[in-house]
Amino acid sequence: MLFRPQSKRIYHTKHPMSKYSRRDFLKLTTDGLLALGATLGIGGLVRFLSYEMDPAPPSEYDLGPAINFQPDTTTLLMHIPAALVCKGNDEFVAFSLICTHLGCTVEQKNDKFECPCHGSIYGSDGQMEKGPAQKGLRRLRVTKNEAGNLILHMN
Amino acid sequence: MNTDRSRIPFIAVLFVAVGLGILLLSVTALPRAEKVEATPIEAENPLDPPIVSEPPTQLDQGALIFWGVCMACHGNEGQGLTDEWRELAFGEDKDCWTSKCHASNHPPQGFEFPHTVPALVGGGKLGRFTSAQQLYDYIYAMMPWWNPGSLTPEKAWQVTAYLLKMNGTLPADIPLDGKVASAIPVHRKVSAPPNDTTLALILAAALTAIMLGWLLQEILRRPLPADLAAGTAPKSRLPRPNFVYHLHPPSIPAAQSRWRYTLGAGGLAVFLMLVLGATGLLEMFYYIPTPELAPVSVETIHFFVPLGALVRNLHYWSAQLLVIVAAVHLLRVVFTGAYARPRRFNFLLGLGLFVLALLLDFTGYVLRWDEGIRWALTAGTNLLSSIPWIGPRLYEFAVGSSVISPSTLVRFYTWHIYALSAVAAFVLIWHLFRVRRDGGIAAPLPTLTETPARITRFDLVKREVLGMFLAGIVLILLATFLPAPLGAPIRGTPTLETDTRAPWFFLWVQQLLKLGDPFLLGVLVPVIVLGVLALIPYVLPAPAKEELGHWFPRRGRIAQILVAVLVTIILILTALAAFTS
Repeated sequence: MLFRPQSKRIYHTKHPMSKYSRRDFLKLTTDGLLALGATLGIGGLVRFLSYEMDPAPPSEYDLGPAINFQPDTTTLLMHIPAALVCKGNDEFVAFSLICTHLGCTVEQKNDKFECPCHGSIYGSDGQMEKGPAQKGLRRLRVTKNEAGNLILHMN
Repeated sequence: MNTDRSRIPFIAVLFVAVGLGILLLSVTALPRAEKVEATPIEAENPLDPPIVSEPPTQLDQGALIFWGVCMACHGNEGQGLTDEWRELAFGEDKDCWTSKCHASNHPPQGFEFPHTVPALVGGGKLGRFTSAQQLYDYIYAMMPWWNPGSLTPEKAWQVTAYLLKMNGTLPADIPLDGKVASAIPVHRKVSAPPNDTTLALILAAALTAIMLGWLLQEILRRPLPADLAAGTAPKSRLPRPNFVYHLHPPSIPAAQSRWRYTLGAGGLAVFLMLVLGATGLLEMFYYIPTPELAPVSVETIHFFVPLGALVRNLHYWSAQLLVIVAAVHLLRVVFTGAYARPRRFNFLLGLGLFVLALLLDFTGYVLRWDEGIRWALTAGTNLLSSIPWIGPRLYEFAVGSSVISPSTLVRFYTWHIYALSAVAAFVLIWHLFRVRRDGGIAAPLPTLTETPARITRFDLVKREVLGMFLAGIVLILLATFLPAPLGAPIRGTPTLETDTRAPWFFLWVQQLLKLGDPFLLGVLVPVIVLGVLALIPYVLPAPAKEELGHWFPRRGRIAQILVAVLVTIILILTALAAFTS
């Protein structure tokens, strides 16, 4: 398919001043059209494969009334997965339970969180204590709505 | 020279840039399917009926029904039976459940009013429903409160559409019905891809442009020297072929490549199989082979994946055309006597491929797992169990269980995408190999023809590409304008409007089955037909050598008449089944 001028061959009709024959032009046109067709085809393929079939997980979770959570307790919300720490006086801290190393869900062990996959250890508030993870568990924002329910924001 | 040469990459880049530009345009600036929506206009007074367009759309009808039937309890904005709404709508009668009509001691024509009525609009308000289909099912069976089941399916769909519209999740331009509803989520907005028809036509036009350019180039190519064109030149002088050319013999007798002799049927069948492989692979990216999700994923491919409908329709139409093209190929071989020695074995391979194509068609058809295939699957597989002795074993082998069950779908999926396809690909390659091994397509002896002309592989490929191009255009047009069938998902109890017809290529068997014994008519007769066809080259007299390469050789009369009668009977049975109910 690569374009090679064939102008040295005598059987092509060409303008005396031109290095290119009509055939060269046709070849170039065809190659261009082929490139165009291929581009369209690849574009169509990308479009076809770009559809997101399943919805993304929700961006916020309703955790129910704040009074359900006792002060100085840590609640594991495994369906998210996240941990909610109630510090008392309506003060809540939440962090994700997804290890920042490669995404396994960490396990609670004696007030700390340990990753079963590669052994990273996080403190009770999710701060990093031992690698291979590079940083602590991701903090999540907690707000309270007008009905008094805690809302956990994922981003 | 150098300056001129340096311009070439520039021009090539220009072409690609133009291509990219067109692509971007087609993605972004195509006339999107956002027509002015005939949305029911809010009436000024919340109690007035909605103002609708004429003729009313599905949505308008839904708005009217909501106003007349649902609004009293669910509120004009779907807010539920709130205090504000009771005040607004009923004034003095706002405590409906104490009134004579709606208290527990209601008169015969009254009914007891519920104290709480759920809101229908807003985040999480329809939380118990996932898909529009589930919402419809609930409305159809449970609503309205005082007379459940009184809505017709059509009206229930209209109300469902209006509820989705109020929640902002109704995709534009897709009429809501059982065929699409299970792919439409209640809580998430999905939109149909912008006008795919235009994009499909752009693809077809690009294909046309490329082909015209290529053919023009071929036509203007300097004619080959006479000995090369005739294929009589020494091997060392033949041009070195690239991979595609190398798959073809250096030259073949011109008589083997005439359209009026081969009908191009064999080559077209190969082309259709390639299209089927490519589009099938693309469908696999989205298809989910579980009973709950199979029809939903097919709906998703068809209605929501960009170009998905084109891919699915191409797969469907290629499969339908393959049956026809393969049958034409078979008839050509019989009517030209090409089945005779040394091509006897290849005739059997071809027959095997035809059976594989039918099996692939049937298994692929079942993968839709919608109401359209329910009875064809049941009847088709029960034919297996009607076989004495080995029937039940064979049934379990094909179906994966002693009844139709979720494992049936997985088994048909595996049959379709791997087991049968792999065997078909293998037999196809074997078939093509045997064509060359047996000396090419049956042709007149060179000594007998006046002009023993030969064509080179270059001319052969040119003809093949022309054939593929024409077939490709036909396929794209069919796929763009005639969608593949799709029914409501199979859910528990059968619905009455179900299609009970077999797929069209088995209609003749279905017609036979109406006459009596399933084993005799549904299994034995097709097997006997197949056996008769397979025996033709081994039992019936072969055409003489000098008769080869012509239509209807005299010594092949018995085979010709036999097959003509068989085909006529099959066509009559098919017509009977198609035009009688």
